Amino acid sequence: MTTPQPHAFLIVDHGSATVSAALIGRAGGAWRLIGNLAVPAGGDLGPAIGVLVARARVAHPGLAAAIGIVDVEAEALPRLEVRSRRPRRLAVVAGAERTLGGLVATAARSGWRPTGASAESTDPLAMSRLLLEHTVEAILVGAADPPRADERGAIRELAALVAAVAVRRPEVPIVLSGSMSEGLEEFGDVGGRPGEILLAPAAVGLGGEGADGVDPLSKLLLELALPADDPRRALGAATQALAEVLDRRIEVIVLGHDAAMRAVAAPGAGGEPSTVRLAVVPEAAVAPDDPDDAVVDGVLVWSTVPADRHRLRDRMRELRIAPWSDGAGEGAALRMAAAHAALVRLAAATHTFDSAPVPDLVVAACGVWSAVPPPAVALAHIDVIRRPGASQYALDHARLLGALGAIPDPGERRLLMADLVDDLLAPLGTVVTPAGLRAGRSAGSVVVHGADGSNELDLAPGGLELVDLPPGSTAVAEFRFRDRVRLGGKGRHFAIDVAGGLGGLLVDLRDVPLRLPDRADRRRDLLAAWQASLWAGAEA
Amino acid sequence: MTLLNGSPADLGLVRVRRLLDGPIDVTFPLAPGDRALVAAGESVVAGAPIIERVRDARLSDVVLPETSAPKPGARIVDGELLFDWRGRWRVAGGEFTEPMDSPVAGIVREVRAGSAIVVRATGRAVRGIVTLGGPTRGRLHIASWIEGELRSSSVDVGLAGTILVVGSRIGAETLTRARAMGVHGIIVAGLASKERRDYAASERRQRAALHRLQPFAVLVLEGAVRRPLAGPVMAILEALEGQEVAIVADPPTLIFDLPDLDVPPPRPDHVRIRAGQLSGREGSWAGLVGPRRFDGGVHLEAGTVRLEDGSVVAVPLGDLERFG
Repeated sequence: MTTPQPHAFLIVDHGSATVSAALIGRAGGAWRLIGNLAVPAGGDLGPAIGVLVARARVAHPGLAAAIGIVDVEAEALPRLEVRSRRPRRLAVVAGAERTLGGLVATAARSGWRPTGASAESTDPLAMSRLLLEHTVEAILVGAADPPRADERGAIRELAALVAAVAVRRPEVPIVLSGSMSEGLEEFGDVGGRPGEILLAPAAVGLGGEGADGVDPLSKLLLELALPADDPRRALGAATQALAEVLDRRIEVIVLGHDAAMRAVAAPGAGGEPSTVRLAVVPEAAVAPDDPDDAVVDGVLVWSTVPADRHRLRDRMRELRIAPWSDGAGEGAALRMAAAHAALVRLAAATHTFDSAPVPDLVVAACGVWSAVPPPAVALAHIDVIRRPGASQYALDHARLLGALGAIPDPGERRLLMADLVDDLLAPLGTVVTPAGLRAGRSAGSVVVHGADGSNELDLAPGGLELVDLPPGSTAVAEFRFRDRVRLGGKGRHFAIDVAGGLGGLLVDLRDVPLRLPDRADRRRDLLAAWQASLWAGAEA
Repeated sequence: MTLLNGSPADLGLVRVRRLLDGPIDVTFPLAPGDRALVAAGESVVAGAPIIERVRDARLSDVVLPETSAPKPGARIVDGELLFDWRGRWRVAGGEFTEPMDSPVAGIVREVRAGSAIVVRATGRAVRGIVTLGGPTRGRLHIASWIEGELRSSSVDVGLAGTILVVGSRIGAETLTRARAMGVHGIIVAGLASKERRDYAASERRQRAALHRLQPFAVLVLEGAVRRPLAGPVMAILEALEGQEVAIVADPPTLIFDLPDLDVPPPRPDHVRIRAGQLSGREGSWAGLVGPRRFDGGVHLEAGTVRLEDGSVVAVPLGDLERFG
């Protein structure tokens, strides 16, 4: 008698704050998500996997037998593992402040924690001190292409300074961007150096624009910052595969403990291949290393709990130190506010993504959402990223996207994605956001034609209207506005196909962009009221 | 059932906090102009000078003969060579220097001019969250605190040369007074952001003065909110009372080289509640209970803890820590 081979494997995502383990099994001719569990980073993974597999056995013994996990050692199951690493520090130097600004902005959305200095405002001693700091793990030195008048005089001395640092820190990779590439000869024999010397285009806006909005410097810096199996970098490939599988425009937003990510992908059409843009922004981490006044003030804006700056800064430090901890009560409210503020920083760093068409589906993912009811997740996103139109929202609740993106073979990745797509995305619902509403008692009405009949709702400007539409159901929402509004195009009458979810259909009639009261108490009350409609027990 | 009866395997889901680390690498940063007084491979003893720091480093230009084969990072009389620019070398140097002594014994693993010295410290280490100031060395003393906080008036010159363990938190005024009284260091569970900012400002003003400051460091073991020191950590600190210890900044650590010191480990099922309403309470693991609804309408994976008074409470797994 032979022991049946398991038709199951584990996907493990080692995050900075939590480790997520998911059990995937072959059932009904397709790979399905059987269960998942997240535990604090630093706990033992073995017991977590044991609990996960034991729960699957108890919940559905027949399925457990079919996928062959009854008599196997849980920890012996094959694994697809990815691990997030802490973003590294990049020293950025340039001849002029304007060039430096472009380089730092590019590095900041490419997985690095940049620290910058320009020859215009920093003397060679301070610049040498920065480049020689032992925490610096790579150097970016750049100039516009062709060099601008205000940096022409400084870049040769800058090249000599960086070349001397290259001798002293041979293990550090150095990127020469734009016309700084012409200073390569200063670096002597680059082949014998352990750290690479890379030639790169200038930053966007400084002569480094690629075709179709592609940012070649950012792409190179991302590849240097993160290995291919890092789930943050793999998110681009995962988003692209998802767009291809669903044949829809996809946006994925991940708010992580060390960095936030935004990926936008469109499926191929008319013989053109699919496209993807990815930004990894460490400064948009939910809990930055050192919460300065700007970060704390940003969180205060979205806080529903009264707190002064000092107390909130203490809470943010605690969130940084132990992100898995204090998830209930005020801790949940703090996470919600910190996530809002992180989204604001992410949106600012990736504002160039806003020129893309409104995505058909927005996928949210991050450990911080594990302590928040799913419908409130969609609300957090539309509070910050406001664009007129209609999109579906979903949650990557088992944190599978990053791991799937790390599968090296695109075909295999797409196949597994196609099998798992219904399980990995928890539908949150559809959000419809018209813009250009005039204040008044009523902006019009919506009739939702569903399988169980029609449901009419008056639309009051400035608020949120919720229509119960369970996951799996679809409907047509017929909007009739009193005035012309923007909702994709401009008009008064729209019929939109909507899909249900845990939050149903959400019609967001608030201002675009959102205007919040200046007075803290009024702002808190308003935010709490909006959240209460989607977060049962938030006031407890 | 493994899931319901709280077998020891469930305890593995609780995050482990390492109580003691083995020999660790301590990094002492160097700035251009600083002189390393040790070389890689050398052994150092606690108290031996390892760095000569330049105060207010300045940049100068020097013409060097080609026969001297100058290299970036090399030293000349004027200071440290930075780079050659149009036949003249830019040099980092300064008029005033001050020595920095090693707070630990160990082997120098790496010396990189202008960047850092790395020393593999002998002994064992208790990790903290952050060190302000430092490095420093002194005799560990457990101060007596009231309601978890050491008051400014309790610090006097009799504590000079000690490293004080001061409870759950401390104010900037007490920190400043401790430094003025010759205390070498403070070990505290939490340091609020306001106290941290006020103390850092005071420290900057002191450093701006020309006279050399005595070494002083604040090692924060837990975080930023008021929380008592963990029992197993306190047991280590009590065992170290009266012994010479060191505080270093990178990594933020308390280091002691006492091979014969016996620190009994806590019970394997000993857990501590790190956050929430029961923050600071300790007890024994009573089993995993699965997802539970907690305050704020959130559902979190939870375990139960039997507290010292015999009561059993359900706590989110993320709020618990055990010690290893």
